[in-house]
Amino acid sequence: MNYSSLLKTAVIAAAMSLPFSAQANDVTIVLSEELDIVDPCEASRSNIGRVIAQNVSETITELVPGKGLQPRLAESWEDQGNGTWRFNLRKNVSFSDGSAFDAEDIAHSLKRIKSDKLTCEIGIKYFGGIEISTDIIDSHTIDITAEPAQPILPLLMSVVTVMRSSEPMDKYVVKPVGTGPYTFDQYIRGMQINLSANPNYWGGDSAVKKAKYIFRSDSAVRAAMVATGEADIAPNIALQDATKPEIDFSYPNSETLYLRVDNEVAPTNDVRVRRALNHAIDREAFIGTILANGTIQATGMTPPSTIGYNHDLKPYAFDPSKAKDLLAKAKADGVPVEKEIRLIGRINNFANVQETMEALQAMLQDVGFNVKLEMYEVAEWLDLYSKPYAEDRGPIIVEAMHDNANGDPVFSMFFKYASGGAQSGRNDAKLDKMIADATAATGSEREAMWKNTMAYIHDDVVIDVLLFHMVGFSRVNERLDFTPTIKTNSELQLSQIALK
Amino acid sequence: MTNFLIKRATTSAVSLLILVILVFFLVRLTGDPASLFLPLDASEEAKEKFRELNGLNDPLFSQFLRYCSDLLKLEFGTSMRRAEPAIESVLRGFKWTLQLALITMSVVAISAILIGSIAAFKVGGFFDRIVTFFSLIGASAPDFWVAIVAIVIFSVNLGWLPTSGTGTLWHWIMPISVLFIRPFGLILQVVRGSMLSVLSSDFVKTARAKGVKNTVIIFVHGLRNAMLPVITVIGDQAAGMLNGAVIVETIFGFPGVGKLMIDSILQRDFAVVLASIIVTAAAIFIMNILIDILYAILDPRIRY
Repeated sequence: MNYSSLLKTAVIAAAMSLPFSAQANDVTIVLSEELDIVDPCEASRSNIGRVIAQNVSETITELVPGKGLQPRLAESWEDQGNGTWRFNLRKNVSFSDGSAFDAEDIAHSLKRIKSDKLTCEIGIKYFGGIEISTDIIDSHTIDITAEPAQPILPLLMSVVTVMRSSEPMDKYVVKPVGTGPYTFDQYIRGMQINLSANPNYWGGDSAVKKAKYIFRSDSAVRAAMVATGEADIAPNIALQDATKPEIDFSYPNSETLYLRVDNEVAPTNDVRVRRALNHAIDREAFIGTILANGTIQATGMTPPSTIGYNHDLKPYAFDPSKAKDLLAKAKADGVPVEKEIRLIGRINNFANVQETMEALQAMLQDVGFNVKLEMYEVAEWLDLYSKPYAEDRGPIIVEAMHDNANGDPVFSMFFKYASGGAQSGRNDAKLDKMIADATAATGSEREAMWKNTMAYIHDDVVIDVLLFHMVGFSRVNERLDFTPTIKTNSELQLSQIALK
Repeated sequence: MTNFLIKRATTSAVSLLILVILVFFLVRLTGDPASLFLPLDASEEAKEKFRELNGLNDPLFSQFLRYCSDLLKLEFGTSMRRAEPAIESVLRGFKWTLQLALITMSVVAISAILIGSIAAFKVGGFFDRIVTFFSLIGASAPDFWVAIVAIVIFSVNLGWLPTSGTGTLWHWIMPISVLFIRPFGLILQVVRGSMLSVLSSDFVKTARAKGVKNTVIIFVHGLRNAMLPVITVIGDQAAGMLNGAVIVETIFGFPGVGKLMIDSILQRDFAVVLASIIVTAAAIFIMNILIDILYAILDPRIRY
């Protein structure tokens, strides 16, 4: 072979290896960070959930946006009283390795998420302080009891990913096996995860036959990968990269941005001062400028689609003179309103967080607050945001974003507002009771109680400065028929993707 | 030479030990991994369980003794995040970083030496001015900006190259090109300066007077004598790359050790932080010994 033909061969070989094309039924999804663990008991973490939840490992029930709680591995459920719910499980379901699914798997999965030898996020995040016990009635009927009783136990079951009863209690699995529409084929660390359609799935065929997940930290690169056809979906891109309206979708991403105000330290322990904080901020000025169009002004800690969200509440109007007036009145009563207040922001918390915090600082200073902005990396920020708070902390306001895509305020209210809540800025026995009562209530009574609780927080005692329900952006290749929803923040069901 | 190598290896081992001690204690001052690993709403009981499972409740000195005793058995601990041996994560990343660094530095060294030598031969000429202009721009261009602009031009607009990844030969072109620019500009300037000094030496004037060919003067007589400072700078730049080309790894999705190290520091994944520092430091020590040996080969006056 002479040099000329060697060169030709090399060029042809290189050209053939160009990586752009994919099979028509395959999709490539580009995520913002590599998965450190793939165990389904960690599927409540967003990037893990986007690969595992409802694709590989299914939940007992499922919360569907716009439809409410739906059957998944359980076909039906009924309240047995005393904190016990009976779940009737779907028959003829098998795991992707061929083993049959039954009530033992449910019992084991519930036990495993609370295992002493693991730190499963689902157990810690949703079942902290709750004891779960099970009673297997028959192979496809199981009683689940929560202590203390959980009126929303069926909703809690929408976060429990079901694994085989043979999975270890003391070790994370590296190749999860589930009942879902896809099998977990391979994880090449640092490179990609491959899933393929489960031919024995109880729910029938899906349009997408294979999925590849790759990881790129930079939002501009993720957006460029979909634009060039190297990837099909980038579930999370930054506002400034969402420049192509025909393929970029905005969706409410279940995050609420707020300022946690310390209600126990002067001057922010005075309700007039907290009201002044709210009137000092021109929320409308942020939307469509440094925050995306579609961002909604918040009057509650949870997204507006959550049950019990009080749609009658109105955001505080931007009224600097009213804010000044409130501060003057507080000052006249001896409240030390000139005292320096630390305004704490979290670096890289969301796109344009620095600009947002600087604007907030300027607005608060304009009405007379002595505010000093401090931006912190996540570990230092956490020390300031979560209890135990320092005794000599002084007045402090902490910017934070809270995520609740689970449809019920119970996942938020205790932690953010109850006296024992890890990030609560208030000790209020009346509010503690309101939260406890609403948590224990069911049906329309529950909805009404949450509405009242939200009104008390927002209008009566003005605990914090609720700012915005945020929106996220996904870029989706034109060849796919897929619309991101509020759930895209935590899961991405391949079976819901159609091909055009 | 053997004595020198033993001495060098011993001093390197002592330096590595001091580094491990410093990093072990300093990284533990930066925050509680339980707060970062567990959800915000985690109870104190859950955090306590996490600390217990990961041995973080023991006195710091006991943790250190345990770590040293494991290290003697070449056990680097388990990643809290990845639930796998820390050394596995690090070696997997280091493999990519090493390939990227070796290929880039080879291309940089050859190009900078060649072009820098020619520029120095006709100093002030058109070629020299052009080379100096572009090398100075290269030496001062920010990596992240060049990387993003390259993706926009060559991937999005022209469609010639993939945006990122490692799958094929094409995937390597942009990362290597971006990494190439800065050290190329710097090393080229060093080659040029060093060659200018050598080319004005008496032995070069004598060679010219004797009618020796320009190529022989530049690449045989001149270059050999100009190489010592150049090798020092090449070593310094290569050490930087072995520590991980964080920006390039992040933007182009290269799963290298630099990004792993930064992520581990942010996540307080202590075992991975220490393992990556030990591996990269060991690699840099080995490279420095090789450079010392190269000095002796290039300049027979140097004896160890």
